[in-house]
Amino acid sequence: MRILKTLFFLLIIYLLNGCNNPLPKETVISDSFKLLNQDSAAVVFPDDYKGKIVVAGFIFTNCPDICPMTIHNMQLIQKRIKEENINNVQFVAISFDPLRDTPSVLKQQAEIREVDQKNFSFLTGRKKEIDILLNEMNVNAFTGDTTYTEDGNPVYFFVHTDRISLVDQQGRIRKEYSGSRINIEEIISDIKYLGE
Amino acid sequence: MKLLLLFLLFFLPLQDKISVENAWMRNASKGMNSALYFSLKNNSDKADVLYQVESSAAELVQIHETYEDGEMTGMREVKEIVIEPNSVFNFKPRSHHIMLIRLKKDLKEGSEEEITLHFKNAGPIKFKAQVRKVN
Repeated sequence: MRILKTLFFLLIIYLLNGCNNPLPKETVISDSFKLLNQDSAAVVFPDDYKGKIVVAGFIFTNCPDICPMTIHNMQLIQKRIKEENINNVQFVAISFDPLRDTPSVLKQQAEIREVDQKNFSFLTGRKKEIDILLNEMNVNAFTGDTTYTEDGNPVYFFVHTDRISLVDQQGRIRKEYSGSRINIEEIISDIKYLGE
Repeated sequence: MKLLLLFLLFFLPLQDKISVENAWMRNASKGMNSALYFSLKNNSDKADVLYQVESSAAELVQIHETYEDGEMTGMREVKEIVIEPNSVFNFKPRSHHIMLIRLKKDLKEGSEEEITLHFKNAGPIKFKAQVRKVN
């Protein structure tokens, strides 16, 4: 009977802890990805950021409606982090359009969106590598309708997951948010929780 | 009395059938794409149809809508937009917008671009949209 009581007590403790944990998800990114940032410097994701909290957004630069909102939201989070003196947070905007989003195109995007690039990188890579990374990160992206300019150049857009992911210091995905609609207060609170 | 009516008819400003308000477009680099947003007010008792948009700033201009399917989001071309009588239709982020595809020049914050909308009843309507970086 005493054993049963102890087990019941431990179960209650476990459940209470579970309820208090705002980040119960712990999905390990099981591989390493060789990418390039906007300055053409090599980045191994997520290994190079181990020990840091990573805010990862998913974008393509030919997107004029949803993706700029995702980048803007990441900038708002970055500003709040700075204001609240929270250190050890890295921002990455990963392109799911590596064929067009070369490092120089990503650099141009960073500049026109006036991104503070001190702890904010835009990442691209070989298509095969990006496809595996997207799968690991639970992000889908595929080309939608294609139209053509007058000179016959194809124009295509992506149908994609609207996503910002929070990755912890051990390289585990801890939470996923809508990239364009993210609640800034919610992710700031989650970042603080991871930093404790 | 007749003279007064003639005076009113010819000299008082008549309200446009369609008016464009709050027009702005997102800043973007040459070769990339931008989106144009505005409100269309149909001041008449007849519906009208927007079927074409022109801008010299881009190689291709299309009426688009952003759509969502669960967590997924995408854009697709819309051939025309019906503006109901005495109503307002908003082109806004995450919804209908005008796609400016393959920009011929940088769209810098604060600059303006001339846009022409073509309607089946009201005909062409020209206006200027300011380039902004707001999201």
